[in-house]
Amino acid sequence: MANKTIEVLHERCMGAGNCVEVAPDFFDQDPMDGTVILLHPQVAPGDEAVVEKAANVCPVAAIILHSAAS
Amino acid sequence: MASTNETATLRKFPFQRDWPLSQPPEMAEVRKIEPISKVQLWDGSTAWLATRYADIKQLLNDRALSSDTLRPGFPQSSETAASFRKGQRVFARMDPPQHDQHRLMLTADFMIRRVREYRPYLDAMIDQIFDEMEETGGPVDLVQSLALPVPSRVITKLLDLPAEDSAFFLDRVQTAMSLDSTPEESQQAGADTLAYFARVIEERWDSEADDLISRLVRGRVRTGELTAEELQHMLHLILVGGFDTTANMIALGTLVFLENPDQIQTLRENPDLVPGAVEELLRYLSVAHHVAYRQAAADTSIGGVDIRAGDGVIAPIMAANHDPEVFADPEKFDVTRDARRHLAFGYGVHQCLGQPLARVELQAVFAKIFERFPNLRLVEKIENLEFHNSIIYGVESVLVDW
Repeated sequence: MANKTIEVLHERCMGAGNCVEVAPDFFDQDPMDGTVILLHPQVAPGDEAVVEKAANVCPVAAIILHSAAS
Repeated sequence: MASTNETATLRKFPFQRDWPLSQPPEMAEVRKIEPISKVQLWDGSTAWLATRYADIKQLLNDRALSSDTLRPGFPQSSETAASFRKGQRVFARMDPPQHDQHRLMLTADFMIRRVREYRPYLDAMIDQIFDEMEETGGPVDLVQSLALPVPSRVITKLLDLPAEDSAFFLDRVQTAMSLDSTPEESQQAGADTLAYFARVIEERWDSEADDLISRLVRGRVRTGELTAEELQHMLHLILVGGFDTTANMIALGTLVFLENPDQIQTLRENPDLVPGAVEELLRYLSVAHHVAYRQAAADTSIGGVDIRAGDGVIAPIMAANHDPEVFADPEKFDVTRDARRHLAFGYGVHQCLGQPLARVELQAVFAKIFERFPNLRLVEKIENLEFHNSIIYGVESVLVDW
């Protein structure tokens, strides 16, 4: 199964940090303003659930998980 | 504006609880019958009330809805809340893009990696508090001995303020937010805190120190990005957001556990459940009572209902967090539940800035309290305790013994 890809809409990010708490292997925060840093855009099938959860708890819906085909 | 005939049949909001730790029964009823319905507020005005998780989540992230309480007709839960809100000149009451510029000046200080550095400090502080409780012997008021000192010491450390000023802060914050205060008392309490911060800003005008206030004065106020008055309001918001809220989560959270002794047992047998148990407490209690009020700045639609520009919209966090569609058997407190999707910190651009700090504080408390006091018990019956009628739900005192 092909990897899915993470896209972050940085201009929406408010630095709430939920993604870092839920999925620290994929997201970090910029030490200057706390906004999101995407560590790994590629998501192996086994990690999809945790990335989906991170996308779900983002208060401004700034994390999008794309399937490989799109 | 609805006619007199229409408003006569509308439900009055806010709803009343019939048990101190449960959601008001009327909330569940409305969710079933008419999940988005018009309600009547204290001043006779009307607003849309949303009660389903999905609708509340959607509307809190809807850019057509404004948080600017200076807009004519902005809905408020009471006259005192209206007075308190109108006095807030801060990003919590602004819409993007100005909101974003101001909020992003603070986010780095509340990011997870930064606030986790507080954990050893918190662990030592809580051990010391528990040592003192044991030395004094029971009964002890948990609010005075634990719930208030934890967030107040963290905030005074964060802002580098004298610890002895925390009694002043607490009194002013509680008076400002209590719905039992008159509008004038609430306004005065806010003005006192702003005056306090005006002095602190002046004292730190030339400071080269690394505390948050000195850095903001140096990096934002002296550069002209932020006025000194805007910084006063920002510091007031940090105080309002981080003191009473966390204190009430600690006191009420302990009460919830004491009412559910099987959950204490589960937690003690599985210490790894602490972070999840804190999320469940946040969901279950939803202490931010009268917070998520909005007004439509443009026409929009929520859950299939048309909302017109100018309409008030209320999104009770408690309603979302007790929606059985998302949280099965919502009135059950269950530390094994995956409650992380809760909206206790709100949602959208205004979601709580200090949530990582709140989590660290609550996790530190609930990792220790029942280990140290496995036989902790209430001295009085829960129905005899005095609960706060405030923007943030709380309890006056909780006498415990062990």
